[in-house]
Amino acid sequence: MGGISLNYLARRLLVFALTVWVAATLIFIIPRLAPGDPISAMIARMSQFEGFVENADLIIESWRKRFGLDDPIHVQYLRYLGNTLRLDLGYSMGNFPSTVYELIARRLPWTIGLVGLSTVIFFTVGNLCGALLAWYRTPRWLKVMIPISMTFTSVPPALFSLLLVYIFGFLLPIFPQVGAYGRGMVPSLTPEFFGSVLHHGFLPAMSIVLVTFGFWALGMRGMMVTIEGEDYMILAQAKGLKPFYVLYRYMIRNAILPQMTALAVSIGTLINGSVLVEIMFVYNGMGSLIYEGINTQDFGLIQGTSFILIVTSALAVLIIDLVYPLIDPRISLEGR
Amino acid sequence: MAEKTKDPAVAGGVKKAGLLNRFDNPWLNWKFLTGAGIIGLIFFMIFLGNQFWDTELALAGSSPLNMPPVGFTNWRDQEGVPEHPLGTENSGRDMLALLIVGTPRTIGVGAIAASVGMGIGILLGFLAGFVGGFADDVIRLATDVTITIPSLLVLIVIQSVLPRIDLVTMALLISMFAWATPTRYIRAQVLSMRESGYVQMARLSGVPTRDIMYREIMPNLLPYLAASYIGNMTGAILSAVGLELLGFGPQRIPSLGVSIFWSIEAAALLRNMWWWWGIPTVILAVVFIALLLINLGLDEIANPRLRKAS
Amino acid sequence: MSEQRNTHPKSLPEGSVSTRPHKEGGTSTRPFPPRGLGDGGGDRVVLKVDNLRIHYATPQGDVIAVSDISFNLYEGETLGLVGESGCGKSTTAYGILQLVQPPGYIVHGSIQVDGTEVLNLEEEELRKFRWTGLSLIPQGAMNSLNPTMRVKDQIIDVIESHEGKQKDKDALRERIFELFQNVGLPNRIYNMYPHELSGGMKQRVCIAMGVALHPTVVIADEATSALDVVVQRIVAQTLVKVKDEIGVSLIVIGHDMGLLAQIVDRIAVMYAGKMVEIAPVENVYANPLHPYTQLLIDSIPSIKERKPLKITEGITHDPRNPPSGCIFRLRCPFAWEHCAEVEPPPIYVEDLHEVACHLYDEQFEERRTNAHALIANS
Repeated sequence: MGGISLNYLARRLLVFALTVWVAATLIFIIPRLAPGDPISAMIARMSQFEGFVENADLIIESWRKRFGLDDPIHVQYLRYLGNTLRLDLGYSMGNFPSTVYELIARRLPWTIGLVGLSTVIFFTVGNLCGALLAWYRTPRWLKVMIPISMTFTSVPPALFSLLLVYIFGFLLPIFPQVGAYGRGMVPSLTPEFFGSVLHHGFLPAMSIVLVTFGFWALGMRGMMVTIEGEDYMILAQAKGLKPFYVLYRYMIRNAILPQMTALAVSIGTLINGSVLVEIMFVYNGMGSLIYEGINTQDFGLIQGTSFILIVTSALAVLIIDLVYPLIDPRISLEGR
Repeated sequence: MAEKTKDPAVAGGVKKAGLLNRFDNPWLNWKFLTGAGIIGLIFFMIFLGNQFWDTELALAGSSPLNMPPVGFTNWRDQEGVPEHPLGTENSGRDMLALLIVGTPRTIGVGAIAASVGMGIGILLGFLAGFVGGFADDVIRLATDVTITIPSLLVLIVIQSVLPRIDLVTMALLISMFAWATPTRYIRAQVLSMRESGYVQMARLSGVPTRDIMYREIMPNLLPYLAASYIGNMTGAILSAVGLELLGFGPQRIPSLGVSIFWSIEAAALLRNMWWWWGIPTVILAVVFIALLLINLGLDEIANPRLRKAS
Repeated sequence: MSEQRNTHPKSLPEGSVSTRPHKEGGTSTRPFPPRGLGDGGGDRVVLKVDNLRIHYATPQGDVIAVSDISFNLYEGETLGLVGESGCGKSTTAYGILQLVQPPGYIVHGSIQVDGTEVLNLEEEELRKFRWTGLSLIPQGAMNSLNPTMRVKDQIIDVIESHEGKQKDKDALRERIFELFQNVGLPNRIYNMYPHELSGGMKQRVCIAMGVALHPTVVIADEATSALDVVVQRIVAQTLVKVKDEIGVSLIVIGHDMGLLAQIVDRIAVMYAGKMVEIAPVENVYANPLHPYTQLLIDSIPSIKERKPLKITEGITHDPRNPPSGCIFRLRCPFAWEHCAEVEPPPIYVEDLHEVACHLYDEQFEERRTNAHALIANS
């Protein structure tokens, strides 16, 4: 009892560290695999923008320094790793003299807010729906309604957001089509601003939730069916426990464990989807930042944003993995 | 006395048996059949389209611009014409031709990426599940890391430094990430089957490992593999559409995602050119829902417990 | 549909005192059977099962799992229910507990506990009746405890769902400690999770849980089968000890005739969903009447002599379509035409000893003599 087994902890931390290292290394290697010298390729592309990129020569200089192209490759690599781990991601070409780090620091909370809130909603609603689908006392009308509400499951969130915007932003303009808060508003801790954020965030969040919760409902239903066949369920019935108590303390409590594991596995896909949804809604988060980078050929921005999002994703997985032993008493001994 | 008690029960049993028998064939699963039917129908339509419609109209400038579908008008009060039943977009591509050309391309990218990913997944999954030890440790770590990384981000980084790429290259890039989920899944299945009685028996009686894999494990794994493949294909199409929505797609002959990207770029939403983005979106949505139905159906076919519950 | 079967005598004759088979280290001083000892209350029937029939629906037709069985359980008694796998003994138990899982269902019958007809209870009444009237010590104690709940919480939840929220937490803990003591569990497992306990401990937790509310009848379904032999014996003894201390009636289901002989008062033998013989335990061992019971007794391994195993196969007929007449006739060495024509009714051979076999019908006395001679010669 008590405490997470060292083995489990070490393995989770190793996966986290490896993920960060692989991400950093990929981002180091990929530009070098492209045909030609990466910096001159960048400069060549940038020169197309020379007219409206301010301080282009300064940026080029900073990139040259950062990449230190005359050094041997392993020196470049180690220096790059050092910089990256200190979150020194260089300057943004499009927003010079802002650093990539500064831009990300402003945008990341919005993405975490949107994805985090959506995740809480679809995980709760999905698991509840799945549990109700499998429960013998659920009213029949609900057992018919839930699968109908799952029609859009597996439609990509970005495509679904197009439909939502068209219906609820264009045909019936109830919700704003773009943005994370009202135009001209200054972020502050006022109720008006908060209301605006919720109003603007509703469609993006629903784009993720409505196409995702069905997966969780289906997974939960499957787990509930498995658990219904367990010996302890027969004993729970024999014990004459109250049905609702059996539902949450015996069934959901045990069925939720594999769902938590599945959540950790799905974080990557979730981030993929939310990047695209943000772009569709011109939402003020990391996805839009990447898109800006793509449109201005701002490679530093693309690479830095991607790296930080990968780290965020790995961190989310790590947190779920560390929370898991708290809800599954067996893990502390088995030390998977 | 006994005869009397038995008769009604047996009679009821026979009636019930007839009813149950009809639905007892696991492959007669409505989800699987519906999903497969939808995909089949889509391919049939594409086939018909290729026979009877001029696919050259999918090229830019082949048709008048911004025409609405038949029975609708656009913002310039132009009526839809039968030459372009689903309308045209702003560079003069016929929407119907675009669907005929674009749909198989989108599904094709998914199929290629899923096949490559699945092949690697089967190889690594069996290796990890059967050989175990160090190989298993390394493969598990690699899958965990790959699954954690949001693939789209790495693909964006790659695409941003590469020159324009064709669909096959795109599919191969996507498959770099499409192997992890099948590997994990197959490893788990192989491990659980390895522990099962019949495989243990085969091992005890000295059947070579290779024969155990091909004769004992593979056949039982097939429904799982099929479900996994479909799930993988969904993921691969999702990645491909994601990249296309960002503008990293083939340009001359578009796929569905690319044409949605252009419609967004051209603010088709605000111009109420719903046919431009809406029709490809709905087709893609239908493809995804059909794939999900096939996947759920296969799950139920593989897992009798789920079947009973539905 | 079917006429009520005459079952057990309502009252038992005075002086039908039977002695329990000698228990190892036999220090048990409990009075058995309580009935007939003049205390008056001993022959009270606490559980009356009448004409119970349970089917499993399959695509090929219903499988008859339990076929019109009837028996009584007396206050303070331990009844053993034996038979080979698939004979319906566990299904009978689950039927009594109203726990038959689909596709199984109760076709007809009556189950009365202290005069309450269990089959007529409404859902909420049934919930309240469970564990106070009938409790279960399950077959697979290994997996019968909720893996994500502490041991104490699994006992507390059964107390609180029947007796309401317990305000006095100290008293509640004392009560659980007392239960632990009854079954020989250390107090330190109070806060543990099931996976931290050994198999024997889990089984004891199940026993403690089973008697926590002092139910009228406890049903132990192969409660010791999954344990190793030494632990099996200890757990079985614990079961009997707790049963006596708390004063409940017990049905023990098992297939280990040797183990059962040591803990039960009466034995009911089942074959293919039918009850073929029911008798005080010493009668069954000393003088088994039904040919099937004889086979069973014969198959108990003995250390003293090596003998060939007589039972070579399980139930041979299609359970969806049982043979006419006697259910056992296909495997019975003494069967004749009459067995295929008429289903044998239960016959009282002596006090409390009942057998469903035509051999014991008065009119076939000759056959019986021959059959017994055959057995004696073999």
